[in-house]
Amino acid sequence: MTEREVFLNHLAEASGRPRHQLVDHPFIPINSLPQTTLSDLSADELLNLAQTRSEALQVEFHLTSQKKLPQVLNVWLKAQQAQNILLPTDPRLSEYGLDQWLAHLTPTPRFWQPNAGRATNLDAASHADAAISVGDYLLAESGTLTVATTRGQGRAFHFLPTHYLSIIPRSHVVPRSYQAMKAYRHALQNGTLQTSNINFISGPSNSGDIEMVLIVGVHGPLTVSYVVIDDA
Amino acid sequence: MPIKTSDQSFTTRLKESEADKFMQRAVAKAQDAQWDKRTSSREDLGNWPQWRELGEQIRQHVIRYLPDYLERFSNNVEARGGHVFFASTDEEASSYIQQIAVDLDAHHIVKSKSMVTTEIDLDKKLLELPDRTLLESDLAEFILQEDDFDEPTHIVFPTLHKNRDQIQTIFQKIGYTGSNDPQEMARFARKYLRASFLEADMGITGCNFAVAENGLINLVTNEGNADLVMAIPKTQVVVMGMERLVPTMQEAAVLDTMLARSAVGQRMTSYATFCGPAMPDEIDGPENFYVVILDNGRSNALGGQFEQVLQCIRCGACLNVCPVYRHIGGHGYGSIYPGPIGAVLSPVLRGYELFGDLPFASSLCGACSETCPVKIPLHELLIKHRAVMNDRLKLDHSFNNTVMHGIGMATGTPPMFRMALDVDHAMSGAMVKHDAPTVENFSNHNGYFIHAPGMAKGWTDSRDLPRPPKHKENFRSWFKHHQEASHD
Ligand code: SF4
Repeated sequence: MTEREVFLNHLAEASGRPRHQLVDHPFIPINSLPQTTLSDLSADELLNLAQTRSEALQVEFHLTSQKKLPQVLNVWLKAQQAQNILLPTDPRLSEYGLDQWLAHLTPTPRFWQPNAGRATNLDAASHADAAISVGDYLLAESGTLTVATTRGQGRAFHFLPTHYLSIIPRSHVVPRSYQAMKAYRHALQNGTLQTSNINFISGPSNSGDIEMVLIVGVHGPLTVSYVVIDDA
Repeated sequence: MPIKTSDQSFTTRLKESEADKFMQRAVAKAQDAQWDKRTSSREDLGNWPQWRELGEQIRQHVIRYLPDYLERFSNNVEARGGHVFFASTDEEASSYIQQIAVDLDAHHIVKSKSMVTTEIDLDKKLLELPDRTLLESDLAEFILQEDDFDEPTHIVFPTLHKNRDQIQTIFQKIGYTGSNDPQEMARFARKYLRASFLEADMGITGCNFAVAENGLINLVTNEGNADLVMAIPKTQVVVMGMERLVPTMQEAAVLDTMLARSAVGQRMTSYATFCGPAMPDEIDGPENFYVVILDNGRSNALGGQFEQVLQCIRCGACLNVCPVYRHIGGHGYGSIYPGPIGAVLSPVLRGYELFGDLPFASSLCGACSETCPVKIPLHELLIKHRAVMNDRLKLDHSFNNTVMHGIGMATGTPPMFRMALDVDHAMSGAMVKHDAPTVENFSNHNGYFIHAPGMAKGWTDSRDLPRPPKHKENFRSWFKHHQEASHD
């Protein structure tokens, strides 16, 4: 018998309950609060809530049109006095109409490169003072941005840079984690998403470990901004 | 540091905790601040009682089918290319992880906060190996490590017992020259730890919830250090208590929000991550991924009267409402799991010989049970521990039972209750002490007990107990006269 079988049999014995009963007793939640909470909000109410809740986390929140997106990004980069810019290799940058902007961006950004090695990409991320990512969803309830790791936008992309901004389409502002989770589970199950990592990010990193005084910016970015593109 | 953190007797630990006035003030301040934050974040979610029911249901369901969920989870981790090790004891777990460091020739280890790794004393075990560096990357754990692995005092705020001056002194040992300003000290830690992250070849994390449906690990933090531990080193070891399963990512999301609201009064922690071994075409994340699933005494609770303790999601809310914890802090308990949850869990994991005092470190006020997001009836489990101990140690609890029964009858039967009020003053005369009235004994000038009998003895060991007032002066008489006077 394998070490796993010995371990699991011991648990079954200790509990007095036989193994392999789950198939007939799947988990069925006793209420539907995860999906019904905030589900009655209109699109405008949802956006307002997302903004209020994000700002409560000290997130800089922008709503803009696709046309004005380059301008918003330029203002942000200038405010960060960005010298080392990090961008993802992701088709969504083109979808958001940023090709022209990219071609003229100074200083020349570095990209998270799918074909470069770990060391090159970690070096780019750790030297970046400003990173612009493409986000998947924004959860209105908690001001949370979600991103799944891809070849062109790795895990450390969201944590090593000093200042961080993420672009999210307005149609992807959802009430809460339930809706984002539903979409991720669906995409993972049907294979349209292949990832080893999904991040839920709610504002800048922080800690209360020294006398419970709130310190913003510990290991992750010191500041976080969300830019919602009004694609409605 | 294993589960037991002190060789001193319970009473010695209590005396030391009592003398630590900074700790008491810090705990009181933290409890009060957390009370407001926790309450408002739960109100803001709405339907908190129903959320608790859901949280309880998720946890109870998983515990009920635990072997099946562990099987499903481990199959899915392996399908993703990870390895799973089932450890029955702390020694098995820490030796296995030590061997990974040897086999993979890993020399620079970074960790994120994990109670379970503290439980198996992992840091010391890894540092036994030659030429290894190991750094705790959570700010609080880093402070404790640099203070010669001082013991944590709280499961969510491990450095609650340290003030900013002490932390400044600790940091000065590693080259800090700045002030005692928390922000400045945190920036120093960020810089210091960033260098270690970038050279790390092995990362160790705990696990808030393990997702059975897809083999991913769910971790929540506010600092972002766990995400760097999961992104940069090529090897990641996850250490988890065997009960930390959830069926799907949906249930993990439910528990994450309940955990964040209960632990720190936030809607979500800054980071909540679902992660596994890196996929072949991803750039960062662990290429070598190990999950160590630990029993270490947890199975003692399965199928028995303490099974509900396995529902715990380690939010620390029960510590934050506990009047006993408020006075004795974490160190008073002598376990890495302090507070009400520690008083229930520690004896389950390691038995009454080591932790038999803890179930008595409670006023049984029930505040812990009331706040617990997954509805663990903590104070009832403490009473059960006491009863089991009485039975095991062959102590006769018939006296306690008789006294409680008598009190129940007397207070529940109006004529008997009135009779008791008539005579309690007179009957207590022989046992009380009288002093001349002063400001200090203003409310005791009727006399007071210094050595009360039976169950009240514990109270009079450390406090005075006022003598019951004369019949005509007691509250009921006063209220009756007051009512009569106002009708006139
Ligand atoms: S027992 Fe309940 S309140 Fe205490 S830490 Fe566990 S989940 Fe939180």
